[in-house]
Amino acid sequence: MGNINDYRIKPRQVADKAVQGALQEAIGLALDVETEALRHNTQTFNQNRYIAVQKIDDYEDLKQRARNIKEESIADLPDLIGTLTKTIEGRGGHVFLAKSRTEATGYITNVCLSHRARLVVKAKSITSEEIGLNHELENAGIEVAETDLAEFILQVSKEQPSHIVAPAIHRSRETISELFKRNFNTDLPLETGEELTRFARDILRKKFLSADIGITGANLIAADEGAILLVESEGNIRLTSQLPAVHIAVAGIEKIIRRTKDFGTFIELLAASGTGQSLTSYTSILEPPVELPVLNLNGRTDSKREFHLVLVDNGRMQMRDDEDLRETLFCIRCSACMNSCANFQAVGGHAFGGECYTGGIGGAWTLGTTGNIDKAKFAELCTGCSRCVPNCPVKIDIPGLNAVLKSRLMEHSGGPSFQQRFFSDFSKSADIAAMAPGLVNWISNLPPTRAIMEKVIHIDRRRKIPPFANRTLSKQYLQYRKADYPAQGGETTSSVVVFADVYTNFNNPGVGMSTVRVFDRFGIPVKLSRVFDDGRGAQSQGLLKDASKRAGELAPYLVDLIGGGDEIIVMEPSVLSMFRRDYRTLLSNEPQFERIAAHSFDPFEYLEKLTAEGHLEINRHLNITSWNTRHIFYHAHCQMKTIGAGNSAVDFFSRLRFTVDTSNVECCGMAGSFGYKKEYYGVSKRVGDDLIDQIKNALAADPAAVILASGTSCREQIRSELTVPVYHPMEFLEQLLA
Amino acid sequence: MTGVTEQTEYSADLAGVFVESVRNLGATVEVIKKSPETLCVSLQKATDGEQFVLLADPDFLEPELFDLFRQDKRVVSQPTKEQLSTIHAGVTDAFCGVASTGSVCVSVSKNLTSPASLLTRKHIAVVDAGTIVQRPRDVFSAGSFSMKNLNRSFSFITGPSATADMGPLVIGVHGPGELHIILLSGRDPHGV
Ligand code: SF4
Repeated sequence: MGNINDYRIKPRQVADKAVQGALQEAIGLALDVETEALRHNTQTFNQNRYIAVQKIDDYEDLKQRARNIKEESIADLPDLIGTLTKTIEGRGGHVFLAKSRTEATGYITNVCLSHRARLVVKAKSITSEEIGLNHELENAGIEVAETDLAEFILQVSKEQPSHIVAPAIHRSRETISELFKRNFNTDLPLETGEELTRFARDILRKKFLSADIGITGANLIAADEGAILLVESEGNIRLTSQLPAVHIAVAGIEKIIRRTKDFGTFIELLAASGTGQSLTSYTSILEPPVELPVLNLNGRTDSKREFHLVLVDNGRMQMRDDEDLRETLFCIRCSACMNSCANFQAVGGHAFGGECYTGGIGGAWTLGTTGNIDKAKFAELCTGCSRCVPNCPVKIDIPGLNAVLKSRLMEHSGGPSFQQRFFSDFSKSADIAAMAPGLVNWISNLPPTRAIMEKVIHIDRRRKIPPFANRTLSKQYLQYRKADYPAQGGETTSSVVVFADVYTNFNNPGVGMSTVRVFDRFGIPVKLSRVFDDGRGAQSQGLLKDASKRAGELAPYLVDLIGGGDEIIVMEPSVLSMFRRDYRTLLSNEPQFERIAAHSFDPFEYLEKLTAEGHLEINRHLNITSWNTRHIFYHAHCQMKTIGAGNSAVDFFSRLRFTVDTSNVECCGMAGSFGYKKEYYGVSKRVGDDLIDQIKNALAADPAAVILASGTSCREQIRSELTVPVYHPMEFLEQLLA
Repeated sequence: MTGVTEQTEYSADLAGVFVESVRNLGATVEVIKKSPETLCVSLQKATDGEQFVLLADPDFLEPELFDLFRQDKRVVSQPTKEQLSTIHAGVTDAFCGVASTGSVCVSVSKNLTSPASLLTRKHIAVVDAGTIVQRPRDVFSAGSFSMKNLNRSFSFITGPSATADMGPLVIGVHGPGELHIILLSGRDPHGV
């Protein structure tokens, strides 16, 4: 642990991820000196958001309405730009549509120079970062004062934002205090939050009272009334837009919606999704130039208010034409996808971000506004865990966008790497390995093999390679049906097929067999499917065509089973999530997708369903009293939570009168192949810390507590740190059978 | 929702929720009977100890409501630039309140409402209980928003200004650090 104020590299030096090695350096920087503050601050936002959205009684509807409004607005964008321009010009304001960043900065600089401005006060605006505005104004001899306190800190530290809503989120009070003491010659105490705030406020109040021009961004713009929405807590945006006679607002064209009254749909969503508030202290709707008389507190003699709206295209119209990237334009920049992202919580936007855009959605923005896919390389930090998906107020499929970015990055670098091919084609290697699993397991964990694996496919040698099972699930199942338990007619009407996914079949046959045996005992007719690669491996590496192909091969088989009256039971949460979420895009066959999605279940989801329908009486099959503890600690897989199956096992065991504590981490950090990669081993371990700590606490309270996790990779992550047994919930349930 | 006529009961409900929301924000609120006399007493109490008080001409409420208070010698209604940037306490009206969030909506108009609610350290907002709506979005619905064409530019003010940028949450940044809301009720305020 070093100190950010004298760390060997500065965030700006590693902001451009197209530079060779920048991403790795940035991750090092983040893990060395930023992660403590980041984790604390993002997780606080994250928890507050969950509480805040719960208070919105029609949250799901509201998100859908917001989504619809954005879809319409982007479709009608050229028309809306016309309407908006007319409205504002009709009121005496000015509108400038800037095609590029230089056009935008050129226009703004000219406005400032025409007013002989020496000092500009500025409110937080990522778009102004995108166009490099401060730099241009300073080149023209104009002083720029950032008035948002976080931006003020960054102006002093010469860092770029690490988060789109809270730009200095990577800094603790202590490092800010030290930074100020080094940079300002003052006797004032600069220790507490109050002291630091008062100090900055006093400096900035003087700036406000002497500024010639104020520059703000805009959260949204309504074409019908030419109104802009400005959301903040500090009051600096109100001051910036109202104190000087000249107000310039700079915003991307995607911020335009048709109607002012639709602001109503967004303001609660924005506040709740961003900082977890019901509303932030100030939510302003302005129709500038405003009627407020010119105050001239700056000593000028301006006679009337002047307003300029600078609409920035800078690649957005092209994004609009790009079928994949278009969705990015719906983003209202609330930051929920950052705060709910386990990787972002660990490394923040200096690593998981570019020169100005950060987090899961940041890659798509970076590509869209720079046209350079290499600058979006940080999109690889998106593991596809999908925890951002239900939290995005405009329902953007952020992991889907990142899968597209990964695929474009790969194309641009000349095709998949050995590593990407390895993880994508895991099923093929597994097929071969299954011929002599003992030998393969032995060889693959030998130091020389690990050295080669690390070198060629960048699998970190500190990770244990999950062993291949001696006998695959399909072999075990055949044997079991032949010798031990011939299939019988059951008590319930419907029958189920346990899906033999690649991981369960080759690495975790025990989990599959537990399920088969439990269902047998419960009297539910159960079969095993053929072994199939569902495409998850390829999809996670960005090999989208391969993933689509595999999905396309599997889908008819599943539809056939379903047609024959079977329900599909899926052991591996990432596979279930494919069937219920990713296949929508991968199959591009909506009816096929809908059918598969509606008939695929997590085993506990299915048991809960049968119980609710009165088809199953579990108690009589179980002997629970003999178990030595009533405590379960359960970690639900990230993707399982997203598709709404995260609570089934909790509900199930709670009804059996177990006390089930759940982890509150968004993801275990392993995230399939992510944690095995040498480049991301450190991030993965850091993310895992939270889960490991929570398990340690549970074990401290009850050393006999049962640790359960549904995902293979989650269990691997836990096993890498702890020696206690970790089960799939089905394996545990089997142990409770009478 | 039983007993009294639904209309009255509903708005008392809203006022009750509003008061609770305001308190949760770290602001203060009182409910008084709508009259120049009671308002003057409340404003004097809320500005006790202040050397000057900036009173913005109301955008929405009847100006007469403030007549008594305006006679207080500390009250400044036509501030000089110097006064505008130094007076500590500001009194404004608000054209509506929002129950679920405890917000008050303050105009950006030809009057000094916005600066008086922003440049000061302590803001006192006076709002009619009859204008309270359920949720922020209701301010934009036909009934309330388009009705008040005067208030096309406005701010929802939800508690005092605040920041977490320096680490812990700090109340009072560029905007006021104190917010007091006076809710005017047509009925006996003790019913709220
Ligand atoms: S992508 Fe969604 S969650 Fe992320 S910042 Fe944009 S609107 Fe918010």
